[in-house]
Amino acid sequence: MFINALARDPSLESFRQEVRDFCAANIGPDLRRKLDLGQHLTKEEYNAWLQALGEKGWLGGNWPREAGGQGWSAEEAAIFREETGRAGAPWLIPFGVTMVGPVIYTFGTPEQKARHLPGILKNTTWWCQGYSEPGSGSDLASLRTRAVKGVDDDGAHYRVTGQKIWTTLAHWADWCFCLVRTDPDAKPQKGISFLLIDMKTPGITVRPIITLDMGHHVNEVFFDDVRVPAENLIGEENKGWDYAKFLLANERVGVAELGSMVRYLDQLKGVLAQTMEGGKPLSQSPEFQRRVAELEVQFATLEALVADQHAAHQSAADQPSLIGAAALKIRGSELQQAILQCMTDALARHGLAYQADALMAGWNGELMGPAEMAGILAEHLHRRAATIYGGSSEIQRNIIAKGALGL
Amino acid sequence: MTAFSTEERQLLSESAEAWFADRYGPEHSKKLTRDTEDGFGREEWKTYAEMGWLGLALPEAAGGSDGGLTELAILLSTAGKHLAVEPLLPTLVLGAGAVAQFGAPAQQEILGKVAEGACLMALLHAEPASGFARDHVEAVATRSGDGFTLDGAKTFAIGAHAADTLVVSARIGDASGPVGLFLVPGKAEGVSLNVSPAMDGRRGAAARFAGVSLPADALLGGAETDRLSAIDALLDRGTLAACAEAVGAMHAATATTLDYLKQRKQFGRALSEFQVIQHRLVDMNILCEETRAAVHAALTAVDEGRADAALAVARAKVQCARASRFIGGQAVQLHGGMGMTDELAASHFYKRLSVTEAQFGDGEWHLRRLIEAGAAAPASAALASGLAAG
Repeated sequence: MFINALARDPSLESFRQEVRDFCAANIGPDLRRKLDLGQHLTKEEYNAWLQALGEKGWLGGNWPREAGGQGWSAEEAAIFREETGRAGAPWLIPFGVTMVGPVIYTFGTPEQKARHLPGILKNTTWWCQGYSEPGSGSDLASLRTRAVKGVDDDGAHYRVTGQKIWTTLAHWADWCFCLVRTDPDAKPQKGISFLLIDMKTPGITVRPIITLDMGHHVNEVFFDDVRVPAENLIGEENKGWDYAKFLLANERVGVAELGSMVRYLDQLKGVLAQTMEGGKPLSQSPEFQRRVAELEVQFATLEALVADQHAAHQSAADQPSLIGAAALKIRGSELQQAILQCMTDALARHGLAYQADALMAGWNGELMGPAEMAGILAEHLHRRAATIYGGSSEIQRNIIAKGALGL
Repeated sequence: MTAFSTEERQLLSESAEAWFADRYGPEHSKKLTRDTEDGFGREEWKTYAEMGWLGLALPEAAGGSDGGLTELAILLSTAGKHLAVEPLLPTLVLGAGAVAQFGAPAQQEILGKVAEGACLMALLHAEPASGFARDHVEAVATRSGDGFTLDGAKTFAIGAHAADTLVVSARIGDASGPVGLFLVPGKAEGVSLNVSPAMDGRRGAAARFAGVSLPADALLGGAETDRLSAIDALLDRGTLAACAEAVGAMHAATATTLDYLKQRKQFGRALSEFQVIQHRLVDMNILCEETRAAVHAALTAVDEGRADAALAVARAKVQCARASRFIGGQAVQLHGGMGMTDELAASHFYKRLSVTEAQFGDGEWHLRRLIEAGAAAPASAALASGLAAG
C-alpha cells in the first residue's frame, strides 16, 4: 500500500512533555556539562541514567507488555527517541534492551526470561555482543569460535574456545550473548548456536582495542575452554543464525539512530553560530545554510522511512524485515557521518586541534574553539565506524540486492 | 630561483623516498608524536639539515639550493606518504618563505639558521574570528617607542608550539592600520601558547599575545605597507604544499588498502576479487593520479610566476580536498573494523588527509574563491580557442 504510516495521535503530546520533564529531572548539572562537552561517562553515570529509565519502565518501552515493556506504538517510540535525543541524554546502550532482550523474550525458556529480562529492563546487568571474529566480519557465518558439549558431564556444559573482536563495552559487561559454532560439518549458517555467557566465567580474557579517536570502546575477547551451562543456550542448537538474523533486524531499526541525529543537528547549528569566518558567523554562510537544509531534508526523509517501516510491521503483525532494516542502516549511518562531517568542516576553522584529553573528567586545560569541539571531533572519528559495524554498508546493499531485488 | 633539472628532481625524490621508507612509517610517527617532548624528531630534523632538504628552496646566500616550491613539494609529498611529523611545511614554506619573500637583508640572516636546522618557524595568521578568510586580522601591533607592542589571538597551527621564531600578522598602529608580518621569538614574554595535538597527532599551538614588546626590526621588510596580498600568495604556497603532502598520503593510503584487500578473505575469496571493491579501488586510484596532475600543474604555475597561479592553486585544492575525503574515508571503510584501529596505518592516513584537506581553506572555500574570481576569464586557453574555432 502507498500509505503505511499510522494516523497521528494528538493525545501523545502529553507523553512528549512527560519525557521532557523526565530528562530535565534526571540529567543534573554535572552530567549535563559532561554531555555537552562530549566527555566520556563512567559506568556509574550510565547506570544512574539507564536505571532511572528502567525504574520508570521506559528502558524497555518498545517491548510488548507481556515481556515487561510498555508496548509503545511507533509514534510513542519516536517521541521518546526524539526527546531524549534533543535533551542530549546519555547513549541508550543497546546490547541488553535492544538486542538480546527481544531475543530472550521471543525465543528464551521461561527460566531464561525470569533470570535475564528483569536485569535488562532495569539495567542492573550489562551485556555485550560476541559476534564478529578476526576472520569473520562481513562474512559473519564463517565464525569459528567452537562450543562443544562436554562428554565428562553428560552434556551439562558447553566448552567454548575462540576469539571475538570489536566487542563494545566488553570491559563493563556482566554477560555476553555469543554466536558459537556447534556443528563444524554443517553449512556455515546451519551449525551456529546462540549462547549466553557469564563474563565472570574462568577462561575469558578481555583486551582493549584503541580506535582512531584514541578512545577505548571496543575489545578483543578471548575464550579459552570456557564452561557454559547448557541451559544458557537460546532456542535450539544450530538454529543460532535465525535468532541472530532476528536480532540484526531489530538492531538496524535502532541503528538509524534518529535520536542522536536530532542532537547532532542541534549541535551543528550551535557550532555554526559560534564559528566565525571573516568576522561573521558561519550560520550566515550560504554554503552552510544549504548544507544544513540538505541534511534536514535527509533527516526528515529518514524519519519518515522509520515511521513507515514501523507502521508496516505493526499493521502486518510482522517482525521487522531485514531488507527494510538494511535500508535504514545504510541511510542512517551515512546521514550520521554527513552531519558530523559538516560540523567537522565548520570546526576546521579552529585549526583541527584535537584536545582528546579534554574528554576525561577532571581535565582543566584551556579549550580551543567552541567548548564542544573535542567531543564533536571524537564523535566524528568514532562514527566512521557507523558504516562498518552491525553489517557494513556494502553488506547491507548485498542484503537488499539479494532479498528485495532477487539478484 | 633556479629550476632543478628533471634528473636533479628525480635524485631528490629517490633520496627522500629511500630515507623516509627506511626511517619512517606509522609506528615511528606514533612514537614521535606521543612519546617525545616536542612531538616530532629532533634527530630527524638534523638529518633534514644534513641532507640539504631544509635549504632546498632557500637562496644560495643562506646556504640553500635556490629551488622552487616544486622541489619542496617533492620532499613534502614523500614526507606525507610516510606520515612524517616534523614541521617542514610551517618552517620552510611559511616561515622561511615569508622571510625570503619580503625580509630586509638583515632579517634574511635567519634563513641561514633555518638551512642549518637551528631555527624552526611557523606562521600565525588565522584568528578566532577569521575562519579561512585571509583578510580578517584583528591582532594589533601598536607603536611603542622605537618598536611595537603586539596584542591578539591566533588560531591553532601545526608547528607553532616548537617555533623558535613565529611570523605573526597584525595591524600596524591601530585596528584600521595596514597588516604587517612580525618576527616574534616563540619564547618572548607575553606569548602564551596553548599546545595540543592536531586531529592527526601532529603537534601545534594556538597563541595569545598580550603586550609583547617587539623591536622596530621585528617588522618584516621594514616598511609599514599592507601585506595582505603578499600573505594571500604565501598562503597559496602553503595550500599547494599541503596538497603535495596529501598526494603522498593518498597514494600510500590507496596502496595499503589494496594490499590489505588482497590478503583479507571473506566468503571464501579475497575481498579484492569483489567487483564493488575493485571499482572503489579504481576510483581511489584515478583520484590519486588526477590530483597529482592537478597539483603538478599548479606547482608549475606558481614556480613560473604565472598570472593565474592563484586560480591554479584553488583548483588543485578543490580537487585535492575531494580526493582526500574519498580516499581517506574509503581507506577506513574498506579495511572494515581494522580501519578503525589505532594500530593500522589506514586510520592515520584518514586523519592526516582530514587535516591537510582543511588546512589553508577546504574544498568548498576554494571553490568559493574560484566562483568569485569567476566569469572574469575562460577556464583555459584551449577552451577559449575551441570556442573561437567553433
